[in-house]
Amino acid sequence: MSTKHSIAAEKFNQDSGRVTRHDQTFWSVRSKRDGLAYQLEEWEQLRESANLIKKHTITHLADYLEQFETNAKKNGVHVHWAKDADEYNDIVMEIMRQHNVKKVVKSKSMLTEECHLNDNLIKHGIDVVETDLGERILQLMEIPPSHIVMPAIHVTREEVAACFREKGIIEKHGAHAAEGLLKEGEDWRTSSDPTYLTRAARYHLRDNFMEADCGMTGGNFGIAETGDIVVCTNEGNADMSTSIPKLHIVSIGLEKIIPNYKAMGVFQRLLARHGTGQATTVYTSHFRKARPGAEMHIILVDNGRSSILGNIEHWQTLKCMRCGACMNTCPVYRRSGGYSYTYFIPGPIGINLGMLKDKEANYHNCSACSLCMSCDNVCPVKVDLSTQIYKWRQELDSMGHADPLKKMTSAGMQTLFEHPSLYTTALKFAPLANHVPAFMTNIKANTWCYGHTMPEFAKESFHTLWKKGKVK
Amino acid sequence: MSSREEILNRLRGNVRETYDFPDLGFKKLEFADPVAQYIETTTTTAGARVFEIKPTDDINAKIREAYPDARIIASNIPGVLADLNPDTVERAQDLEVVDVGVIKGEVACAENGCVWVPQTMKEKAICFASETLVLIVSRKNIVSNMHEAYERIKFNDYGFGTFISGPSKTADIEQSLVYGAQAARGLTVFLTD
Repeated sequence: MSTKHSIAAEKFNQDSGRVTRHDQTFWSVRSKRDGLAYQLEEWEQLRESANLIKKHTITHLADYLEQFETNAKKNGVHVHWAKDADEYNDIVMEIMRQHNVKKVVKSKSMLTEECHLNDNLIKHGIDVVETDLGERILQLMEIPPSHIVMPAIHVTREEVAACFREKGIIEKHGAHAAEGLLKEGEDWRTSSDPTYLTRAARYHLRDNFMEADCGMTGGNFGIAETGDIVVCTNEGNADMSTSIPKLHIVSIGLEKIIPNYKAMGVFQRLLARHGTGQATTVYTSHFRKARPGAEMHIILVDNGRSSILGNIEHWQTLKCMRCGACMNTCPVYRRSGGYSYTYFIPGPIGINLGMLKDKEANYHNCSACSLCMSCDNVCPVKVDLSTQIYKWRQELDSMGHADPLKKMTSAGMQTLFEHPSLYTTALKFAPLANHVPAFMTNIKANTWCYGHTMPEFAKESFHTLWKKGKVK
Repeated sequence: MSSREEILNRLRGNVRETYDFPDLGFKKLEFADPVAQYIETTTTTAGARVFEIKPTDDINAKIREAYPDARIIASNIPGVLADLNPDTVERAQDLEVVDVGVIKGEVACAENGCVWVPQTMKEKAICFASETLVLIVSRKNIVSNMHEAYERIKFNDYGFGTFISGPSKTADIEQSLVYGAQAARGLTVFLTD
């Protein structure tokens, strides 16, 4: 029985060039992270501190949320609470109606993906422009992100160039963007040079920043002690989105609240090092108050998070700060791509969050794990990702989703292992299988043969060798 | 019951075991010469330039030296010859045309090149929309790591501050690093006494 993940992954693997590039891209990010880890003697102490700070905060979350709300209000910021995606979308629309918003510039937020915000804004006639370059490319191509930090990394430069041409960005900004950039003889109308394309996107997005009446951001952290919202970007798009329009709306999941600046120091040092293999993002911006003459709103979104806290086996997924390190290291993610998963967040954390959101829709992703545990070893806040995936797998049988072939094999193995005489006999005759022609063993029912040749059974078992004293 | 009450009640009801805030007293990265390390970090990985400014230097000449082609300079720092002032422009959009924004940083961090820039002007767009930035920092205010930086930073009534470590950058197209994504394309740090 194949899961949706394995079927999609098989398709992804048909283009071996793309798979290799995908694999190497993310492995290079993982390697950069390792390089930075070796430079810090306190690396493991930072990870353990991050783990403990998150555990502490999550188990005192109601108190910290109240403290955060009090301080944000003192700073003149409007605070809203949304129990689910519908209420969240309603709150956003209400604020936008009050300000007569026509155009929104938005910096990357996985929470807004989770709540399908963009579809809702478009439905209400509001023009929404993603301003992270990767997110903007995806928005123009009308495809979802395939990674939470590097969302469009699977798209080639030629595809980006074709998209920018189709959307009129090249026609409008190409000649200007090409000034002093392109090599002699290179035509800006057809160029797919990344620097040139980024420059064209810069001018295209500048136009949007200037016209927008609302800037929306997510929040990497909310600081209870001060009411700060902290947003980390390399492009400066969150800052552009909030420096020009007179309205700033922050959407933040409850679990992103941390106690104070002491905690912030720990997380600032870990986030970029884990996520992109950099010592820091270019910008770490603290939004405490609205700009002069502007308004700032923070929407605290639950959407299932408070219930996850009550899940004895999986509550620690709430520690996740969405750095993407578990995806970068995951051998299955690297070789199957983000779109092979049924949940919008892929990789080890996505498997877990998807199961917490909707088991029936997302159990398929549980097969996307070799239990190598690499994710557990890189997670900056020590979420036990692979252990949790293992636990979900134990539930699959009761959900009626265990693979019947594997169940049959397991039952057979059980009989064999519970009856020593049967086991010894089977072992004695096992080498006979060596003489069975390949076309008979290389069949669909024998999943071992998919991508492998049959193993050769030894003529004498270890058991017999031991008894004969041949084992030295 | 409001959503707020409902959420807080459910959170309180779902806690089983509680954990304490950890002791963060472990030994942290310290540089023998944080100033030298800050310059190294900023000019290599962060992709910015550092000009060491002597008290006898003419700041306006140095700005000209850093960006000889600049047409429009913006600043609200006394003594800086500027065409636009972020305190007096009518709209943030007016700063879109700026070639060089000259701003001040208060604390710099050697481990990653971050400089704390609190908002000290009406329109902070100068810090982001300017084509390039000159960031003035005193070498007396350089610390080794972010823990120390967070102990030192201060807010004023504007209620905004940002750590800036270099020019805006992206690697969103095929992982190739490009400086100058949405915000400043270039950054020159003026290191003063």
